[in-house]
Amino acid sequence: MTDTPRTSAIRTEGLAKTYGKGSSAFKALREVNIDIAENEFFTLLGPSGCGKTTLLRLIAGFDFPTEGQILLHGRDIAALPPFQRPINTVFQNYALFPHMTVAQNIGFGLKMLGWDKARIGARVAEMLRLVRMEPMADRATSAISGGQQQRVALARALAPAPKVLLLDEPLSALDYKLRKEMQIELKRLQHETGITFVFVTHDQEEALAMSDRIAVMNRGQVLQVGDPRTIYNAPADRFVADFIGESNLLTGRVMGAAGPGVHRIALDWAEILALGQPDGAEALVMIRPEHVQVLFASTEGALPATIAETVFVGTETRLHLRLSDGVAFIALLPNADATSERLEQGRDVWLSVAPGTARILGGDHG
Amino acid sequence: MATKPQAFDPKSQPGFGFVAGATIVALYLPIIVLVAFAFNATSSLGIWGGLSLNWFIKAWNNQQIVDAAIFSLWLALVAGALATMMATLAALAMTRTAPYRGQTLAYALINQPLIVPEIVTAISLLIVFSAVKATTGYSGAGYLVLAHTAFCIPFAYLPIRARLEGMDLTFETAAADLYANPWKTFLHITLPGMFPGILAGFMLAFVVSLDDVVITELVKSGGQETLPTFMLGQVRRDMTPEVNAAATLLLIPSILLVTAVHLINRRK
Repeated sequence: MTDTPRTSAIRTEGLAKTYGKGSSAFKALREVNIDIAENEFFTLLGPSGCGKTTLLRLIAGFDFPTEGQILLHGRDIAALPPFQRPINTVFQNYALFPHMTVAQNIGFGLKMLGWDKARIGARVAEMLRLVRMEPMADRATSAISGGQQQRVALARALAPAPKVLLLDEPLSALDYKLRKEMQIELKRLQHETGITFVFVTHDQEEALAMSDRIAVMNRGQVLQVGDPRTIYNAPADRFVADFIGESNLLTGRVMGAAGPGVHRIALDWAEILALGQPDGAEALVMIRPEHVQVLFASTEGALPATIAETVFVGTETRLHLRLSDGVAFIALLPNADATSERLEQGRDVWLSVAPGTARILGGDHG
Repeated sequence: MATKPQAFDPKSQPGFGFVAGATIVALYLPIIVLVAFAFNATSSLGIWGGLSLNWFIKAWNNQQIVDAAIFSLWLALVAGALATMMATLAALAMTRTAPYRGQTLAYALINQPLIVPEIVTAISLLIVFSAVKATTGYSGAGYLVLAHTAFCIPFAYLPIRARLEGMDLTFETAAADLYANPWKTFLHITLPGMFPGILAGFMLAFVVSLDDVVITELVKSGGQETLPTFMLGQVRRDMTPEVNAAATLLLIPSILLVTAVHLINRRK
């Protein structure tokens, strides 16, 4: 785990949101406790319906919690209407006002705050420069491209210098190349403005690439909070391991400790060393495909497997394998090694797991 | 693209051209005849006697027609504006609030004037207003304003509601996010967004009020004449192409406003 956060910008305590009543009640959020630090790029990651957007709406004030508190720099804001919270949002569809120009859109929040015209003009010019949209100031919002609308939406939300900026899947409407560009752009803007960003996405790659810390959510709960490396290398449970990146999950018997924080785990056909603390006699072990070396001759301590399917993915070939007990397993083979006669279906291979990479997961062993 | 042989195309059915043509003739021939005879040089409504603008000039110089026209326009303006205001509030209550008990009933009540036969409304108003007149002694234009406002509301309501329903609620959410309180959000975002609907609603209400005969005839006090009720009176006495000329002039605002509504609704 990394350093604990410095000053907290947003903290939630026992935050819960239930829609409906009685038997038709739907618990969108249950007992959410997160602590987002000042100046942090914090991502809420999870599949659709996991509660990430509900959490964002509660922080923005578009919806109100059933239980719990939302603290902004220590002050409970859970009951304040959105226009009294120093928090701004970049919407998924941008929501640029269609009857206003680019500049009027960016200046809207400042006008509502009662700034005078000269100050608004200066701030809008500064924002246009920040998002590199100076020549577009007087354009109609319908006369600019999707990527440009995105920049205007960002400038509009950043103009009042909010304490926290909320971003609701802002990149989902852009094509792949533009999305990659905007990822870098967003990081730059966060760095230059020093504002806390809370970013919602279902795209794990995007979350890993951009975040200081990630909260992985499922079914209205936060399963794990950590920096991208921790989340990827040491997922808290089966769901996180499965959702973030690709992983092989195997169940085995705990044979005993092999050193501090290392245990010997017996699988049906071999024994491996895994990091982490098992919570019973059985353990769920995660092995990432990139930590597995594929050998073409029987080797001491390697897991035997057969090739079921091969998929060429450019820089490497993905091997879909079957272990001797029939369990599916995925491994990657750099394409320098992948010659066609070696990769016939049904061929036997041996898998060597890099030392110190297998992980024991907590939670259910499914 | 390959044509779909199964697709039903009414235009290719036998007799389509004839039915379409006959319908258009039935709808518009009488109006064309009426307009044509407004330009007749003689006082006949059946025999063409040459082209003339005489009847327009006569109508223009007829103080009764001018007074009735001015009263009609004033009434349509006032009743149309009041109906539009109420329709706007009703449309906001129907689309921008959480669903509430009796919402469907409210919708039905707003549209009631479209369903109840006009003569029924007219007679009920006549009875009620007579009673009010008898007790208060007031016999001004207020009765007509009230009656016209009431039956104009559904016409103003429909385009406004359609506009509001088509507007993305995220704009209002975004405004609230950018420090606009509900009143400022309405003023800066909702109102400009729904304005084309309001304009269309007002124009329809205006035209409907301008054209009304049945309710106006029964509700008006002695001496009050709108252009349609005046024309009805003329037709009963001795009809000259002067009435045609007045009717032709009455067509102009109707055609202009209905066309404008159509154009506003087409432009997103």
